[in-house]
Amino acid sequence: MDVQKILTEASAKVGPSGQEMEVAEYFAGQFRPFVDEVTVDAMFNVIAHKKGTGPRVALFAHMDEIGLMVIAIEEDGSLRLGNVGGVDPRILPASRVWVHGKERLFGTIGAMPPHLMKPEDRKKNYERKDLYVDVGLPVEKVRELVRVGDIVTFNVPATPLLNGQFAAKTMDDRACVAMLVETAERLRKLQCDADVYFVGSTQEEVGSRGAETAAFAIAPDLAIAIDVDHATIPGSRPNTTVELDSLCASIGPFLQPKLLKRLMDCAAAHHVKLQTTVAERNTYTDGDEVSLARDGIPMVLLSLPLKYMHTTVETLDIQALQEGSRLLSHFLSELDAGWEDDLWI
Amino acid sequence: MYELLKKVLKPYGPSGNEEAVAQTIRQALEGHVDSIESDVMGNLIAVKKGTDPNGKKVMFSAHMDHIGFIVTGFEKEGFLRVTSVGGVDPSSNQFRHVVFGNGVEGVVVSQPLQPGENRAMKHLFIDIGAQDKAEAEKMVKLGDVAVYAPNVVRLGEHRVASPAMDDRSACAVLLQFLLQAGRYADTIIGVFSVQEEVGCRGAKTASFALAPDVGIALDVTAWGDTPEVDQPAVSLGKGIAVKVMDRASISNPALRDQLMGLAESKGIPYQREVLAFGGTDAGSMQTSRGGIPVCTLSIPCRYVHSALETVDLRDMEAGVQLMLAYMEDGVK
Amino acid sequence: MDLKTLTELRAPSGNEQPLRRALLAEIKAMGLEPKLDRLGNVVVVKPGTQGAGAKRVMLSAHMDEVGLIVANVTEEGFLRPLPIGGVDPRVIISKRVLCGDEAVPGVIGAMAIHLQTPEDRKRVLGYDDIYVDIGAKDKAEAQAQCPMGTYITFDTAYVEFGDGFVSAKALDDRVGCYTLLRVLEGTYPCDVVAVFSSQEEVGCRGAKGAGFAQEPDVALVLEGTTCNDLGKVPQPEQVCAAGAGVAVSFMDRSSIGNKRLFAQALELAQAQAIPFQVKGSVSGGNDAGVIQLARGGVPTLVLSVPCRSIHSPSSVCKLSDVEAQLALTQALLRAM
Repeated sequence: MDVQKILTEASAKVGPSGQEMEVAEYFAGQFRPFVDEVTVDAMFNVIAHKKGTGPRVALFAHMDEIGLMVIAIEEDGSLRLGNVGGVDPRILPASRVWVHGKERLFGTIGAMPPHLMKPEDRKKNYERKDLYVDVGLPVEKVRELVRVGDIVTFNVPATPLLNGQFAAKTMDDRACVAMLVETAERLRKLQCDADVYFVGSTQEEVGSRGAETAAFAIAPDLAIAIDVDHATIPGSRPNTTVELDSLCASIGPFLQPKLLKRLMDCAAAHHVKLQTTVAERNTYTDGDEVSLARDGIPMVLLSLPLKYMHTTVETLDIQALQEGSRLLSHFLSELDAGWEDDLWI
Repeated sequence: MYELLKKVLKPYGPSGNEEAVAQTIRQALEGHVDSIESDVMGNLIAVKKGTDPNGKKVMFSAHMDHIGFIVTGFEKEGFLRVTSVGGVDPSSNQFRHVVFGNGVEGVVVSQPLQPGENRAMKHLFIDIGAQDKAEAEKMVKLGDVAVYAPNVVRLGEHRVASPAMDDRSACAVLLQFLLQAGRYADTIIGVFSVQEEVGCRGAKTASFALAPDVGIALDVTAWGDTPEVDQPAVSLGKGIAVKVMDRASISNPALRDQLMGLAESKGIPYQREVLAFGGTDAGSMQTSRGGIPVCTLSIPCRYVHSALETVDLRDMEAGVQLMLAYMEDGVK
Repeated sequence: MDLKTLTELRAPSGNEQPLRRALLAEIKAMGLEPKLDRLGNVVVVKPGTQGAGAKRVMLSAHMDEVGLIVANVTEEGFLRPLPIGGVDPRVIISKRVLCGDEAVPGVIGAMAIHLQTPEDRKRVLGYDDIYVDIGAKDKAEAQAQCPMGTYITFDTAYVEFGDGFVSAKALDDRVGCYTLLRVLEGTYPCDVVAVFSSQEEVGCRGAKGAGFAQEPDVALVLEGTTCNDLGKVPQPEQVCAAGAGVAVSFMDRSSIGNKRLFAQALELAQAQAIPFQVKGSVSGGNDAGVIQLARGGVPTLVLSVPCRSIHSPSSVCKLSDVEAQLALTQALLRAM
């Protein structure tokens, strides 16, 4: 599988939280050659099922992206924006966007130029109210093509960097969905009894709503959430980040300890470098909701380090991603009926 | 619509105490639906069966509860200490007329604030005219809830101000819809839900129990048409608002577009709504079981969560018309 | 099992194994059949005497306690902790702790008052300032003893003092566990589903799964609750009083007590002269919040023992309130 190609393609698909139809269709197509059945459910979750007779395990990585929404059209035809998920307003000035109206419109986000600002205002960040989208059309035309509630997504091509690093929008968390596609591919070459569901989930950025309902519908015996974690950048506070070059497993009350040990043992056996981090409470991933579906589902979290999260230049190490799919495929392959013995003793 | 609205606004019904509202609605619906029952949480559930044995189940939810002040203690002088049930704004509560479920009346008063202090629930007390603690304890009990005293005010030709407009105006819309609805291929489940103001709890359990295929919440939304207020871009009198998103749910795009398309083709006034805060029962319905498509139809409402929440009767009518049009069109 | 043993067992949220093992053994010794579910709850079903048609009543008391977890180890060999559950950093300075399954002793130190500047004295110490010292000579030794992810509990012996009071760690919610074990000694007309739940302090996680799996008709939640009764407390900040009886809740931030159950509890307490008080505060949340929302909804009521200095290394309750919690729980079960 050409990881760079899938990341580049996935990154360009439209799919802010709640409106993941296009990206869902894309990933459904990517999973299809490697599994027995692929469905897209009412929440637009992509559910790829590789049938087996062993424990039922579900893996979750989310497809939705943070985005923007038109909340008002000004008299001059400029558009005011609201958030879909947690967008940092500092990334907005001078960003290029697509406005998904009746037609797809090119737009650029503008703000009052610094020359016209008072010196003290120049020291402040732009706030949402200072920013507007310019689609270069007269107001009548704008009103004809754009309506309140239309989505606005970032228009940024992907950029390969040195040393296998790769920068693109939506790598949180489509890089991890790509990891699942590659896991499905690798699994075909391994013996695997487990009944495996790969889930490209939706609405994670607004509260893991897709994963919550998919976990209910699938009713797995155990689950693995795969999401991104903050990689170290200049100025990171000590002990708040992980290294970019290798995967990370979380330790804490939400993570099932025996299952976590199984994952760490598997990584050691296959020489996959695995960092650890502590989540003393919520993990703020799909895992939080998934682990509480139905009677409760033992869950672990595997993270892919990412620089510049929630920007349009989210940067990852492709080799770390591939190590993730290698680890997950072995983990699934080695999952036997005894996984549940003495789980809580 | 005005008469129906007045009837539904009348009963006492803070979160957790919705029985009187359910009783009023049940009486109005008797004989007009196939079944009406209350569930263990107190949700009132009215069903109008569809004609198609393979038809879908559409759940409409409007919440009966409203915000209030719950008694947490007594001062020795006979004043009541209270805290909020639902989103009560302490800053707007000084010298407010309130009433308890047993008819005891009172005035909400704020004690003087220290310099720099913002008014909080702990600064409020209710004066019920008791001489001392012993008398007050005979009049109300710990855990009793006061609400803004009923006070329906007609503003101009089309507008009405009252407490509890959130969400009794939507209850009136759902009630009117159930009274007017004919037989459709799909089944209508009208849920008058409880405990929305404390976390959409009634709709959560009802949607699990009823397992609908589609969920439509009916609620009020904020306004953007008074001085220095322009968000959300919604105005009173411009029609029913079809929600695109709020903090609790993102409307299913196909369902949302079907509703807006119907409004356009039938000439029903409607507006598009994006709310940066808040949530409705749609959030609870959407994530129930395996997940379902949801949307919210909102009645624009000025001064939400105050003692004079204001709506436009025409927007409510438009809501009824759009719901009827939707059932005729059927679940897609 | 007595309250002393229960409070001295170590069970921070997510790492309740020692208490879980002790409960399993105790319940088996009572001739009952405890089960473990996938969230680590200990579940015991005791059929009622009514047989078929008996109400299925779930009783929930949470096993877990607040504590700390090692997030990092410094170069010098100190442990940097984060809280498990709501632990106010201001109450853990100068306290003794036990780390990990091996119970490695440690202390939470702070700069001596002599060395503090006037500004230092005003500053509130947060988790960025707090560390646990196990006496390790360097990072390697500390990591070998207490690696990242090691759970830490307070090291506090159980002491009975004054007029029937107890000072201990983890009274929230070992009082509930104690009551629930005693409840299981009796038989009732209804079916009793006793759930010793996991992970309440980090979001009522155990009870959420158990509420769904057990499908109860009614649920009673046995808790320890905040108590702010000493000193000059203004009325709006009062909650309940230690020694005034079991506290019955009409509402908290996660649930509204079922009105019929609430009225029934008050009537029974009055009729049977069980000391009780109505909890005069709408604060906090507990297992009732998730159990009431299980499936199609469950009527719930919370019965609590008032605990002074709750969530601290040394909380206080009165034994007579625990007895009242037991008496009222049993009265309700007999009336189901």
